[in-house]
Amino acid sequence: MTLEEAKRYLLRRAKALGLEAEVLFQEERELSLRAREGALEEIKEARQGGVGLRVLAEGRVGYAYTEELSEAALEWALAEARENALLSGKEGSLPEGRPLGGHDLLGEGLSAPLEAKKEAALALERTLREDPRTRTVLMGGYQEREVRVALASTRGAEGAFRTGLAGMGGSFVMGDGASLKQGWDFRLAKEFHALDPGRTALELREKTARLLNAKPLKTGRYRAYLEPKAMANLLAVFAQALSGKNALEGKSRLLGRIGERVASDLVTLVDDPTLERGLLSRPFDAEGTPARRTVVIEKGVFQTFLHNAETARALGQENTGHAHRRYRGTLDVAPSNLYLEPAGNLALREGVLITEFMGLHAGANPVSLDFSLQALGLWVEEGEARYAVENFAVAGNLLELLQAIEGLGDQLEWEVLGAAFGSPLVAVAELSFAGA
Amino acid sequence: MLSPDLVETLLRQALEGGADFAEVYAERSRKRRMTVRSGRLEEANSGLDYGAGIRLFFGTEVVYAYTNELTPEGLREALETLLRAKGALGRVDARGAGGLDFRKALPQGLHAPRVPLSQRDKRFRLERLLEAEAGARLAPEIREVEASLQEWEQEVLIANTEGAWAEETRVRTRLYVLAVAQEGTEVQTGYAAPGKSVGLELFELYPPQEVGAKAARQALTNLRARPAPAGTMPVVVGNAFGGVIFHEALGHLLETTSVAKKASVLADRLGEEVASPAVTYIDDGTLPHAWGSTEVDDEGRPTERTVLIEKGILKSYMVDRLGHLLTGYPMTGSGRRQDYTFAPTSRMRNTFIAPGNKEVEDLIAGVEFGLYAKEMGGGQVKPGSGEYNFAVQEGYLIRKGRLEEPVRGAMLVGKGPETIEKVVAVAGDWENAPGMCGSLSGMVPVEVGQPHVLVSEIVVGGRA
Repeated sequence: MTLEEAKRYLLRRAKALGLEAEVLFQEERELSLRAREGALEEIKEARQGGVGLRVLAEGRVGYAYTEELSEAALEWALAEARENALLSGKEGSLPEGRPLGGHDLLGEGLSAPLEAKKEAALALERTLREDPRTRTVLMGGYQEREVRVALASTRGAEGAFRTGLAGMGGSFVMGDGASLKQGWDFRLAKEFHALDPGRTALELREKTARLLNAKPLKTGRYRAYLEPKAMANLLAVFAQALSGKNALEGKSRLLGRIGERVASDLVTLVDDPTLERGLLSRPFDAEGTPARRTVVIEKGVFQTFLHNAETARALGQENTGHAHRRYRGTLDVAPSNLYLEPAGNLALREGVLITEFMGLHAGANPVSLDFSLQALGLWVEEGEARYAVENFAVAGNLLELLQAIEGLGDQLEWEVLGAAFGSPLVAVAELSFAGA
Repeated sequence: MLSPDLVETLLRQALEGGADFAEVYAERSRKRRMTVRSGRLEEANSGLDYGAGIRLFFGTEVVYAYTNELTPEGLREALETLLRAKGALGRVDARGAGGLDFRKALPQGLHAPRVPLSQRDKRFRLERLLEAEAGARLAPEIREVEASLQEWEQEVLIANTEGAWAEETRVRTRLYVLAVAQEGTEVQTGYAAPGKSVGLELFELYPPQEVGAKAARQALTNLRARPAPAGTMPVVVGNAFGGVIFHEALGHLLETTSVAKKASVLADRLGEEVASPAVTYIDDGTLPHAWGSTEVDDEGRPTERTVLIEKGILKSYMVDRLGHLLTGYPMTGSGRRQDYTFAPTSRMRNTFIAPGNKEVEDLIAGVEFGLYAKEMGGGQVKPGSGEYNFAVQEGYLIRKGRLEEPVRGAMLVGKGPETIEKVVAVAGDWENAPGMCGSLSGMVPVEVGQPHVLVSEIVVGGRA
């Protein structure tokens, strides 16, 4: 069956079984070109898709999905979703749906010929190798992903959109004597032509080379300057505390704190799925709620959790349209383009410039918001970076860190970590560093 | 899933297009997950993953495609996409002529479940999850408990132009319990998650209420723990999941994925002493019912027990087909992938430090001031520089050879090859524990393990 046929089949069969149902289709096309030593070492070109089901049976919700679109597989998914709903102990509902239209957020973005993409991958890898300090390139290349999402429900939701991303980057090792550093970066854009392989490679070389010949850092408390990508990683952890679902499940330290000051008054945190050219912009969420801009923290004051229809109802708050679901998963809450607004009041003085955090999935606890993370960086003195430092960890709590922000740069940079997270350079009054 | 005729046609067409080697991997996976919270089933999801990947080698150049269309048309289209990308569509190479004679390896059921997933209904599973949740309700400070069961039945078929034909059904189950303890504004978590390549006998091997209690005890310990001290000190690393430190600091550096590209600091060092003589390090894909075991790897080769380091001397790497082509080292049945959407790379299976002859008490008794890292969280490594980190989930201070108060938030940081030389003592209480490992070919189930070990010096990240 085609996805269109499968959709009609599922909605018809759900009605016949007396079920309310929502069907979410996702179809992805992926192209990845990996270059090494002047040749393409891996070309990957693929398609994947499936249908995720959410059904309501006797007032309760159950889920299932399938990538096989045979009648037998669709029937299996319906039966599993119904059984899962009937076993559930939790009241649920499907939101009232509406026509949502068809949207193209990609346009001509990825339409360049394959040869141009191959050349870009090779150029990036070549430029990485050109530096005499480059010891080896693990990979350098190009990747694109195009996604088509369609939503339909027995309650009248009906809509679709197409979006996608192109990216270039690589991973490589630089050395100077016995000092070795592995650098990695990936730049994303909505269009192939917005990518610049030569410049990306040069910046990656420069970013990695400055970390060579690092000295140990003495254990102590220092002012910290977080580069945008490092801060974006912390925002990705903090976003879990903003989830209405986590709040509902007692897993957010922000529960009960709406209207309170939770961060420095320099901090304004916004999620905007409507950003033009936003990396993860979308016209509507996974339940069909139209997208709109949400101010989460305004001048340090916590304004709202991010909600889907279910979490908003359960907490008695307004639905912000942040339902998130991939067809293989269940309904969740997630930001789209979440960013810390730049302020432009930051000047380097003395402290540690953190260029990168490592081990976030292990060293940062999204419930307690405590973190203790390995980091790489540079020692800053008299307003400039003097030398690299290594073999140290930074510890603290994300809420304390947000309260200690005393300066923000003027340029947003973005990192996609599930959602897109944006940040300028950030100055934090004091953090705890463990080293030599 | 696919007929031998169809697979043969595809493989021969790939050879006609000039490929030196071609492989078809097909998969049908049934996955279920149930989550209990507040005494009720909160969420349940069931799913069917269904797809195939085709991989071609032109020398050491790899092209890979995958699709959910397991029809002759769907697979042919995927293959033609690849040949087009390579610029080889329409070529006719004589190597495609003649037939392929598949050597079918019959699955032996080495890891087959004793209690198949189909033997019990969902209500049985729900009752076990409720037991786990109840087991975690140890004290009023335990505010939230989440218990989940994940089960996964993966049927795979792997065939290639060398005539390999392997089929296997892999069944895995895992129970997760997260406990959240709170007192005032202080919130801490505890976690326990046993998993094996078994069916529903998992609940007999790991009684759910005990798993719940373990998670809750850890959350309560962390609630009264003080922030860990910061600095460089000796560390006694606990057994079982403690092995994650060497999974990160050592294991990843021995995969040909990085070794072949000289992107590992341990490349080209076979026969050299790379670790303390106290260390013997093994990757064993054959351990019965282990979380990371399979009969065949995802390239269709039988898995093996591979001694990587013997008494400090580097004996072998973990080698997949591409790694073999690039380095000449013999394949070790280490080609693994998350699912059909990834081409395989060399990956760990069940990797552990072999038991030594010291007593755990002696390891601790020898430390003047240091850390006992009893339970680990996860970690990460950069093989090119050897820099690693991992989080301590449950830790205690050691003073004058005695275990003292609990500390939290410790992060161990270092360079793998330096740390492995500083292993000064290994106890005899070897155990393994399950985890998920992410790398180039996605997330795969692995075990990590070790007995208790004493490392003379590690940077401990805590509060300065």
